[in-house]
Amino acid sequence: MNIQKFLLTADHISTWAGKAVAWLIILLMTTVCVEVFKRYILNMPTAWIFDATNMMYGTLFMMCGAYTLAQDAHVRGDFLYGSMKPRTQATLDLILYILFFLPGVIALIKAGIDYAGDSWRIQEHSNVTSNGPAVYPFKTVIPIAGVLVLIQGVAEIVRCIVCLKTGEWPERLKDAEEIDVVEQQLAGSTYVDEESRKRAIESVHEIDDAAHARGLGDRAVEEVGRHPKGEGK
Amino acid sequence: MSDPALGLTMLALIVIVIMMGFPTAFTLMGLGMVFGYIALYDPSHPWLDNRVFDLMVERTYGAMNNDTLISIPLFVLMGYVMERGALVDKMFYSIQLAFRRVPASLAVATLIVCTFWGIASGLVGAVVVLMGVIAFNPMLKAGYDVKLASGVITAGGTLGILIPPSVMIIVYAAVAGQSVVKLYASAMFPGFFLSFLYLVYIIGWALINPKIAPPLPPEQQKVPVSEWVRKFAQAYSRNMMVGLLLAAVMPGKAFAIENDGRRLSYAVIWKNLLAALFPVILSAVTLWGIWWYVVIHQQADTQATAGMVIRQQQASPATASPADQDKPQELGSAESDASSDQPQEAEGVEQVGTPEFLKQGAAAPSESGPPQGFFTYFWLTVAATALLLLWYYWKLEAESFELLKLLISSVMPLGILTIVVLAVILFGITTATESAAIGSAGAFILALQAGTFSWERMKQSVFLTAKTTAMVCWLFIGSALFSGVFAILGGQQLVETWVLSLNMTPIQFMILSQAIIFVLGWPLEWTEIIVIFVPIFLPLLKHFQIDPILWGTLVFVNLQAAFLSPPVAMSAFYLKGVAPKHVTLNQIFAGMMPYMIIVIICMVFMYIWPGMTLWLPNYLYGGG
Repeated sequence: MNIQKFLLTADHISTWAGKAVAWLIILLMTTVCVEVFKRYILNMPTAWIFDATNMMYGTLFMMCGAYTLAQDAHVRGDFLYGSMKPRTQATLDLILYILFFLPGVIALIKAGIDYAGDSWRIQEHSNVTSNGPAVYPFKTVIPIAGVLVLIQGVAEIVRCIVCLKTGEWPERLKDAEEIDVVEQQLAGSTYVDEESRKRAIESVHEIDDAAHARGLGDRAVEEVGRHPKGEGK
Repeated sequence: MSDPALGLTMLALIVIVIMMGFPTAFTLMGLGMVFGYIALYDPSHPWLDNRVFDLMVERTYGAMNNDTLISIPLFVLMGYVMERGALVDKMFYSIQLAFRRVPASLAVATLIVCTFWGIASGLVGAVVVLMGVIAFNPMLKAGYDVKLASGVITAGGTLGILIPPSVMIIVYAAVAGQSVVKLYASAMFPGFFLSFLYLVYIIGWALINPKIAPPLPPEQQKVPVSEWVRKFAQAYSRNMMVGLLLAAVMPGKAFAIENDGRRLSYAVIWKNLLAALFPVILSAVTLWGIWWYVVIHQQADTQATAGMVIRQQQASPATASPADQDKPQELGSAESDASSDQPQEAEGVEQVGTPEFLKQGAAAPSESGPPQGFFTYFWLTVAATALLLLWYYWKLEAESFELLKLLISSVMPLGILTIVVLAVILFGITTATESAAIGSAGAFILALQAGTFSWERMKQSVFLTAKTTAMVCWLFIGSALFSGVFAILGGQQLVETWVLSLNMTPIQFMILSQAIIFVLGWPLEWTEIIVIFVPIFLPLLKHFQIDPILWGTLVFVNLQAAFLSPPVAMSAFYLKGVAPKHVTLNQIFAGMMPYMIIVIICMVFMYIWPGMTLWLPNYLYGGG
């Protein structure tokens, strides 16, 4: 199916970019640790560290915006939403994507291009310390992240349309989920009996869905294909 | 439509659209953009030239450069790694054995594990499901009351969002422009006080009515003692401490004992001796840490901070110990919680004054040397600890020794890491960001050392961290734009004049604002409440002279109650998912009710006695 292929390609782009940038967190952690050692033990602080850490953190979360959207992991008020039928969900989502998402994100891209352009023109450097590092590549992250989010947003709009037609949410890429920790913990457990362990591991995703719908959407548990929150499957 | 009216429409719309379930970050961004465009529209300019674009990109860049939010990914990473590194069921098992003689020991152990886990991570769902599998069924099997068992898991599971280092507190700090460190310090006592109240309630109830929590059968109360330890005890002494010391000196008899087909070696004896000495080491390090902070570190600090304000030395009974004079200051600008870029400068300052001159007289308690009576209390504590340890070692037989080893292997790594991270933040030794980085590096080391970590899990932690951070920070961008536009439209002004016209007393306002947040806590997640609704209240706090730190801490505790209130509490549904079929939702809700009331009692305590919240931040960082 061609549409499905397009959706998965968009997911792949966002996910790949997000995952690649996600490793900045390890770099950030290492940098700060090294700096702590240098500052407190060797008494040799580094001047540009403040800018560098901020840039890593800023790039990290901006570039992961599309990835998070591709995994449907942006927080949403799923109290009512979780108990709706997929078609109703898709209708609401479609309207709101066009009404709020597109203007907001397109504005972000436009403003981001102007902002980064100005910065490139004057070859802006950070003024936190004298002779600070260059800021213009960092500011360029804004429009790039905006474009990624926009591409993913278009994919989400297509998803809504597909769902309106078929009555079911199209699939997403599989990815790590918060609730996975249950499985890992139980797999390594020694004091839990085999049967309850297995049962819990099997049903944990459904439990997560049902809890988000607060028991309103009983059908939510049976139906595969709609996942209210943080459930990229 | 007038501007303030537009603002109110915007506020009403945001509530409706959030309830419709659209991703909140983009709802805020879109609404802010559309309304901002209308508000700032200037017919004399081309239509693409609107100031709202500048506002938007500035707010975005502000979030990217926010030095409070930067600690979020690091703390989140620490939580995810710890979650995957520590083995909860082993922890539960050993804690439960340690408390086997306490009434309702399983419930007590559940609560303690939840508190520990709460320090490590802030995920409600995962804790409740895990504890539901690990602790709920054993409790039911042991004949515990269903309400008691379900209440302790749901209430314990929500503790995670309150107990520092919690992401919620960082987000509040960023929204309210307060210091993360101060907020951590202020949430410290209420958080542990709350879990203490839970504990009192459980034990009290079990004492009054022992039927609800029958003790475990004796065979489950036994600590498994390995073969070699038994033989060892026979060979040397019933008391393990005496035995190990003897064996260290004359190992002849120990070498004759076989363990897994191999004979005991010196290494094994010394390792076990070290394990047996662990309580002594732990108390010594803790006491030394307190001594160091109060007596040595603060003097050094005073030199650093008082350099600018040179005051006359006042006669005060609390003089410093001579130690501080020959102890050179090692930690650059130790107190600063802003990311100090110029430690050199701080050091320069500290050499300006002579130590004797600067020792006394600064205003804040943290700067005026050890408080009166500190030495008396300190030595009393040392004596009491020594007595306790003596008593402990007197009774240290094979069983308690095995238990000690179990506890050391399961609880200690996580415990030490969290204590170090919290202590380093709270004592102002490093900034929150730096402590978070050290904490997550430490979490990696612990997980590797425990052998529970793999490449796969590392990838998962990294990706989950990225997603969570993006979720929180994009929400922050959206709300920064939204609140900017809301203020430009005069909505904020309108709300303020309206609230002020009600002529409320501060206490009325406090109750009203907390009640609103409580109700919002039913359908919404904490992220949305803190990022969207809290900023509306914040400017009003000044009018009523309410400390934003106290108010914020009350909000954190309040959200606990909101997340425990039927019929919307998510944790109940998580527990229902793993519970046996015969447990009904109503039983779980009934079990949660008392805990909700305890939270409210805790809030009343906090209000009547603000010292509980504010003492620690004021003591550590000076006046409020």
